[in-house]
Formats: sequence, structure tokens, C-alpha cells
Amino acid sequence: MKFVVFLIGSCVAVAALLAARSVLVRPSSGDADAMVVWFHQYGEAGTDEACQRYTRAFEQAHPSQRAKLSMFPGDYDSKVNAALLAGRGPDVFEHEPTLDDVRNKRVAPLNDLVDESVRTDFHPLAMEALTFEGKVYGVRTVIDTGFLYYRRSMLRAAGVEPPRTLRELVDTARKLTTGEHKGLFIGNDGGTNSHFGGLIVLSAGEKLIDRNGCRFSVPRIAPGVAMLRELNQSGNLLVGATADWWDPSAFINGECAMQWCGLWAMPAIRKALGDDFGIVAWPALDERGAPVTFVGGHSLCVNAASPRRQQALDYLRWTWIDNLEIQADWNLAYGFHLPPRQTVAAQAAALQSGVPAEALRLVQQHGRNLGGWLWLPEMDATLTNAMAAIVKRGADPQDELNAAVERINRALDRLLGK
Amino acid sequence: MNNTWHPGTAVRSARRPVAGRIALYGIVIVLAALFLLPFYIVLRNAFATHAEITASAWVWFPPKPTLDNLTGMFAGERPILAISMVNSLIVAIAQTALQLLFASMAGYALARIPIRCGKAVLGYILLPMMIPGAVTFVPSFVLVAYFGWVNSFLGLVIPGAFSVFATLVFRQFYLDFPRDLEEAARVDGLGTWGIFWHIVVPNSQGVFVSMGILLFVGSWNSFLWPLVIAQDQNMYTVQMYVSSFLTSQNPDLPKLFMAALVSVLPIAVLFLALQRYIVGGITRSGIKG
Amino acid sequence: MNVNALQPLLQRLGPRGRHLAAFAVFAGPVILGVGLFSYIPVLWGFVLSFFEARGTVAPQRFVGLSNYALLVTDREFIRSLMMITVFGAVIVPLTVGLSLALAVALRRIGWGRTFFRTVFFLPMTCSYVAGSLVWRMSLFNGQAYGVANMAGSVFGLQPVEWISAPSPPLYWVALVTVRLWLQCGFYVVIFLAALVEVPASLYEAAHVDGASGWQSFRHVTLPSIRNASVSILFLCTIGAFQAFDEFYNVMGGVASPGNITMIRTPLIYLYDVAFTQQNYGYGSAGAFVLTLLIVVFSALQSRVVGFGRAEG
Repeated sequence: MKFVVFLIGSCVAVAALLAARSVLVRPSSGDADAMVVWFHQYGEAGTDEACQRYTRAFEQAHPSQRAKLSMFPGDYDSKVNAALLAGRGPDVFEHEPTLDDVRNKRVAPLNDLVDESVRTDFHPLAMEALTFEGKVYGVRTVIDTGFLYYRRSMLRAAGVEPPRTLRELVDTARKLTTGEHKGLFIGNDGGTNSHFGGLIVLSAGEKLIDRNGCRFSVPRIAPGVAMLRELNQSGNLLVGATADWWDPSAFINGECAMQWCGLWAMPAIRKALGDDFGIVAWPALDERGAPVTFVGGHSLCVNAASPRRQQALDYLRWTWIDNLEIQADWNLAYGFHLPPRQTVAAQAAALQSGVPAEALRLVQQHGRNLGGWLWLPEMDATLTNAMAAIVKRGADPQDELNAAVERINRALDRLLGK
Repeated sequence: MNNTWHPGTAVRSARRPVAGRIALYGIVIVLAALFLLPFYIVLRNAFATHAEITASAWVWFPPKPTLDNLTGMFAGERPILAISMVNSLIVAIAQTALQLLFASMAGYALARIPIRCGKAVLGYILLPMMIPGAVTFVPSFVLVAYFGWVNSFLGLVIPGAFSVFATLVFRQFYLDFPRDLEEAARVDGLGTWGIFWHIVVPNSQGVFVSMGILLFVGSWNSFLWPLVIAQDQNMYTVQMYVSSFLTSQNPDLPKLFMAALVSVLPIAVLFLALQRYIVGGITRSGIKG
Repeated sequence: MNVNALQPLLQRLGPRGRHLAAFAVFAGPVILGVGLFSYIPVLWGFVLSFFEARGTVAPQRFVGLSNYALLVTDREFIRSLMMITVFGAVIVPLTVGLSLALAVALRRIGWGRTFFRTVFFLPMTCSYVAGSLVWRMSLFNGQAYGVANMAGSVFGLQPVEWISAPSPPLYWVALVTVRLWLQCGFYVVIFLAALVEVPASLYEAAHVDGASGWQSFRHVTLPSIRNASVSILFLCTIGAFQAFDEFYNVMGGVASPGNITMIRTPLIYLYDVAFTQQNYGYGSAGAFVLTLLIVVFSALQSRVVGFGRAEG
């Protein structure tokens, strides 16, 4: 097999493959002037087709406009960031806007889109997360939230009630652990990350950060993280499960009696367990605190450098703000999310009764935004490192948290230009 | 073809202790079983359902193997699996051909052509390997975007067409290449170019095939760069396709494993087909000994 | 290509000029390509490391060496550097040793050679995503039905938490095995290509002198594949210092940040700094500190095994 023959053969092969490809690849709808829309790959079946359907509907309602929607798997955030940094970003894209985005003028303000009547209809926490200094930078398309799911039958058998404080959570986990299953599942790393750190702080009734700094009371929070360490060392936590806390398999398989999981998992849990499950929010830190749950989701932003800004705004308004049908479909027909517009949520049949109605009530009463505009990814990392030091390496909770708070405040000072 | 003698050919087997051979085979078989174990799991999961994969008991093989995962990949209005396979093939073939061409020439030059700054050039070529690519990633993308190669095969193939790793391997190989073949050719009046193409390349089949396979696999497995270059599904590569099932919420594990299985097949076939060329080597019977 | 037509021109260049011309033609493409696609981004990153650059790759504010100074005091970064050095010291001999052993074994066995060669090569074709998933979900999960725990139960051991337990650090078993599995095939192929080139006459001579299998390995095989071994050592070391993919995915990836803190390699840390925290100036500086470490290690290694010297 000579190399030269290989070289020539490769040219022939590549040419043949390119020809084959042009047969397979139907030219994508829209020409070079079409608006470019990027979503990240959702896992639920039917989401791909649904998105394309909405885009077709938009094009029909606006005959002169063309849109091209693509979904990308894997490290979507890196792809978006690289594209924006290279000046080749899409026109509309899924993204949670950050302070860096605003300062570097990467996302466009959307105030003309969302007038007062509509703004108040959107869930207040979603609006808060997307509004900075009076300007709105994104439109929430789905709201995600989480709960402590528990098996009614297992709790009955052990004679315990769903926990209302963190201390009760630790004790209940112990009482629920048997030879067959563990009491609680909060992730394969035992909850040693900023998500649960944030929940603990919020469950104390404190804030993670505001313009005056990161000022939560370390003497109050430190025992909370110490309790997390106690949980990890007690052997009552499920760790090393096949999937992580986002996936309800462990709960469904009966590997744990309680699991912190998302609203998105409810259909699967309901299908597998019927009525044998209930939900509560993340327990309060102590008597002075209150239960909490996070309010997250996905939002769409407009590229500030887009040459098609008006079209992008039209697209956002028609498809994702004004169109209540699309919002209900997108949130409830494939996965299970909360529609960001409260009128849609109130009218949705799926949220009227049973556990889903309880979910809606829990979010309204106890939902909080975990971070906010001033909470940077590096602060996430600082908090995660502190918790890992405390839980995995046995460091002193007060010292670690104090050091973390100091670091976070330095980052905030730099951010606010002090 | 099979004229390289080595300790273990039939001539010596009478003298080799049987226990030694059994031990050797035993170890190789155990290791092979260990190496195959993960593939067995991928194979098992590819024909299972989500519940079976995340089940809390060990399942040797799903009692009712399902082909849903495979048929599911051909559903949908666009033949994404086929497109991503074709794209990956185009990129892998083109990139491997270019890499072999450029690296073999450069490797030969570094091994055989004496110039004063030879060491410096070697260092120049080796340094990029020691610099983590992940952080120079964005500047690379900006550069390629500047050329207008985003969402094109040029952007996928050209930046990676200059493999310093392959250059290194070719250089080491040609350092060991017997000079007498080249001397004889030079006496016959051939210049460096002629010697390279008429004498050296035809006699380095083994390293070309070995490197070709490794480079092909490297191209086939690359993920982050194609993700950033592609702007729509028409430019998906096969790794992107596999990853499209590993979403953060509701990952489609069965399809993920089936896709992984499918993506392994072309290379397995390639490797099997090219097996014998790897150990072809230089026919030395007439030259040495 | 009609080289003869160029003869008069080449004659006029003189021998050194001819060599330079030939070198330019042969090595030109790689030199230019590497310059364009490697050095320009690298130099860009290098410049960036002296600036503050957040959320952009354009230099924002000149800070001189302050990024580098911060790195030296960065507890997490220093931990990652120490960790990767220890990892490299362990994984490189293991990988090279295992690959060489496999390659030699493959040369010796007569029956089923093609099959076994394919078996050891196949893991290379598996995407590291799928491979890491198998390791995390099926082989080393903490449940009784995980393969490792099932194997342990044969010896009467209780199921252990392989991945998330901070002590004993059993996650290293998972990480080392997955890396060996994914990478050995690569080095086996290179070793095989080198082993094939060892002249039969050398083995014959050794046999005539009464050498045993082990002795002929030590005195014939090893010296003959020296160049290949040295390159492989070099490549393996560089790869070890840049470990990222399997580490990240086996420990749980995005879903388990707490577990990642236990094995955070320099690249995992820098990836977080550059891409998640969008701190490109600091991330670039970190990359170059890591590069320095790799260069120093490789230079030491080549001094010990004599890399740059041309043999043959």
C-alpha cells in the first residue's frame, strides 16, 4: 500500500464523501440573512422538533423574516462564550446574562420588549435575576426549581415526619437508613458544593451577597456546614449512585428514602411511584430560619452586536413573551418546568392539583434566587472550595468560611471598582 | 512478510519451557478480558432501557434487548447520525492525509538534512506540545474566525493538519532508518526529494500505517474544537452526536451508549483491515545479515 | 517534479545552501503551520497573561507580573501543581511499562495475535465521555452491584465508596485504571512499530550466545527501541501533566463540584478560571506556569535519557 496511492485515494474519498454529504444535507431553511438562534441541547424527547415548530410559526406570522434555530450539545457555554469573544455570536441565544456580559456590551438591553403589564406577569424572581440597574437583559423561557422528595411509605415505616430543620434532616436521614436503602441523597459529592452552601445560607434567612458585600453570619452558617459534614460522615448519605441528584433513578429504585431533585423529575417519579411520594422545600437552618428552594431555569438573550437586532427583538416578543400557547407547550409538554408567566402557570391543567400544585405553592412561598448579578462564578468556586475543605478534609468551619467570605468580598470590591 | 525472526518462533519453541508459554498466554488473556470489560458494558447498555442501566442490581444482559436505541437514531427529520459520520470521515481522512504528508517530510528533514539550526527548529516544533491547548483555545478560534473558516471543513481540517507529535515520531523513526539504502540511491544520482519519495517512503510502510491509525483516531475523537467551529447540525461530527445524548437534565443514557458503540465501529473495522501493515516493516532480507 | 531542471540552480547554492533549500521544502509546511496555528495563539495568550482580561480576550489593563504573583500564592493552584507532579511520577512508568509489556507479549504469542492486538487497541477508539461514564456508573460506583465492589465481595470485602470518599483516596484506582485503559493502546502501537524494526540478526546472535529470553530483552530489545522509548516517555509525561478529560468526567463533572476539588488538576483549575470565571488573563498566566513545569520536567527527563542526541 503505497503512500502516494493513499494520498490520491484520500482525495477521491473526500470528494466522494462531500458529494454524498450534499445529498444528505438538505439546505437549512433560511438564507445567509436569516436570524441565528442558539439553544443548548435539552434532553427531553420532542424538544428539538418543538423548537423548530415554533420557529416555523414565527416565520409564518412574519413572512419577511427568516430564522435558523440550532441546538448544541456538550459544553454549550464554552461555545457561546468563544463565539461572542470572536465577534461571531448568534443573534438570539440561551444564556444567563452576567455582569461581564453587560460591561463588555455583549447582551442587549430589552426594555422596549417587556412593558409594565407583561413585566409584572413574569415571575418576580425571574425578572429580578434578569434585571440589572433597571434594565432587562434576558427573557426567561423555563423556570426550574427543586424539592426534597420523600417516600411516604418509607417515612411511615420508620415513624418519622418530613424534616423541617437541618438538624431534623440529619436525624431523619439516620432513622431512615436501613440495610436496604440510605436515608438521603444529595449528590455523589455529598452536597459539598456551592449549590447546597447557598441553600444553607438562604435557609438561615440570610443573603449570599448584595452591594454591601458578602455579609452572612458565619457563626450561624458554620454549624450548618458542620451538620453537612456530619451527614457525610454518618454513612446515611447515598453516594456513588449510578446517576447524580439531577436524575431521579436512585429515588425511584428505592436506593434512598429522600432525594433532593428537580421539578423536571416529577413526571418520571409520578409514573414509577404513583402516590408514594411527597415534597418539601430545603429545611430551615434553625428556628430562626425558613425553608427555601432555588428558582433557576433558562433565559434567552440578544447579542448586542447583532446586525439584526430588531428582528431578534420581534422574534423574542412574538415567540417567547406574547405567545402563551408556546410557553405552556415548551414548559409542560416535554419536560416539567414552571412557565415563567404567572397567567400561564395559573391556567395550566398540569399544575392545578396533587403534588404539582404543592410544588407551585412551595415555590411561591419559599423560592429564592440563589446567586444574583453580583455572585460571580469565582465566588461559587470559593464557596465550593471552602465546603470541600470543611467536609472532605475536616477543616474548621468558622475559619474556612471566614476566609471564603473575605475572598468573596475582595472579588466584589474589584467588581464594583472600589 | 513474516521474515522477522524473534524469540518465540517455531525454531525455538522446543526449547522454551511450556510453563512460560502458559503463563504468558494466561496473563494476556486476563488482561484482554479486563480491557474488554468496559466494552461489554457499553454493549450491554446500548441494548438496554434507562431503567435497566440505572438499576440497582447487576444485569448481565437485558432480558429483552431492545433495538429502540438504534432505530431511535434514525428517527427525526434529518439524518443526523449519517451526516455526522460523513463529516467525521471527511475530516479524519483529509486531516490524516495532510498530517502524514507534512509530518513525514518534516521528520525526515529533522533526521537527515544537516543544517546548523537543526536543534533550534526541533525545539520550536516541540514547544507547542508542552503548552496546554485549552487556554490558547479562544485566541485560536478568533484567528480561524478571522480567516472566515468558521462552520467549514477548512476550519476543521487545516488548523490541526500540522501534527508536532507525528513529526516527532517520524523523526525518531528516520534516525534509525538504515543509511545504506539512501547512500546507494545517492550514488545512483538521486537528490533528497527523489530519495525520500522513491526509497524512504516505500520502505517505511509500518510507521505510516501506525501513525495513520493513531492520527485518524485522534481526529475522530476530537470534540471541543469541532463544537466551537460548527454553527449548525450540518457540521456535527460523530463525537458531538454522541454527546447530544448526554444532557445535564434527562440524559438519554441508552442512546448515548448505542451512539458510542456505533461511533467505535468504523475505527475498529479500519484497525482490523490494516492490522498486517502495522507489522510489515522494512523487508530486510536482502540488505542485512 | 523535474528535479533535474533545477540542477544548475542547486549547484550554484553550494552544499550548505542545498541543504537549507531541501530543509525549507521538507519542513516548511510544518514550520509555517505550527507558526500560524500554534505560535500566534500562544503568543497572544502570553501577552494576555500580563494584562487583566475578564470576559474578553482583548487586553484590558496592564498588570505586569501581578497575575503570576497571584498564582504563586494561589493555594488551589499550587495544590494542583503538586498533585499533578505526583500523578505524573506514578502514571508515566505505569503506562510506559504496561504498554511495553503488552507490545512484547503481542510479539511473542503466536496464536490469536490479531485478536489480542485489536483488543488492546480498541479502547482508544472509545470516546472518553463514554469510557468515563462506564467507570463512574458501572465499574466503580459505590453500590454493591458495582463491578469493583462485586469483585471485592468475592474476597469477602464490604462495598466501598470508590469515588467520593476523601479517605482512603480510592478514587485514584479509578482514575489510574481509566487512563491506562484509554491510553495504552496508543503506546502499544508505537512500541510495536519500533519492535518490528529490530533486526532478526541481533536476536539470532544472542540466541547463538546462549542468551535467555529475559537477557535478550534487556540487551537486544531495549537498546534497539531506545529512540522510540524516549519519545514515548516524553509524550506520556506531557500528556500526564495535561490530564483533564477523564479526571473531570470520572469524578462526576459538572454535577459533583465537591468531588472535583479532590483531584483538581492544573488544567481543570485553569479551565474553570478561564472559561467559567471568564478570567482569561489569569488563566493564560496559569497555563504558562504549567508549561514551565512541563518544560523543566521534560528537560530533566531528556538529560537523563539523552533525547536530543541523534542515534544511528
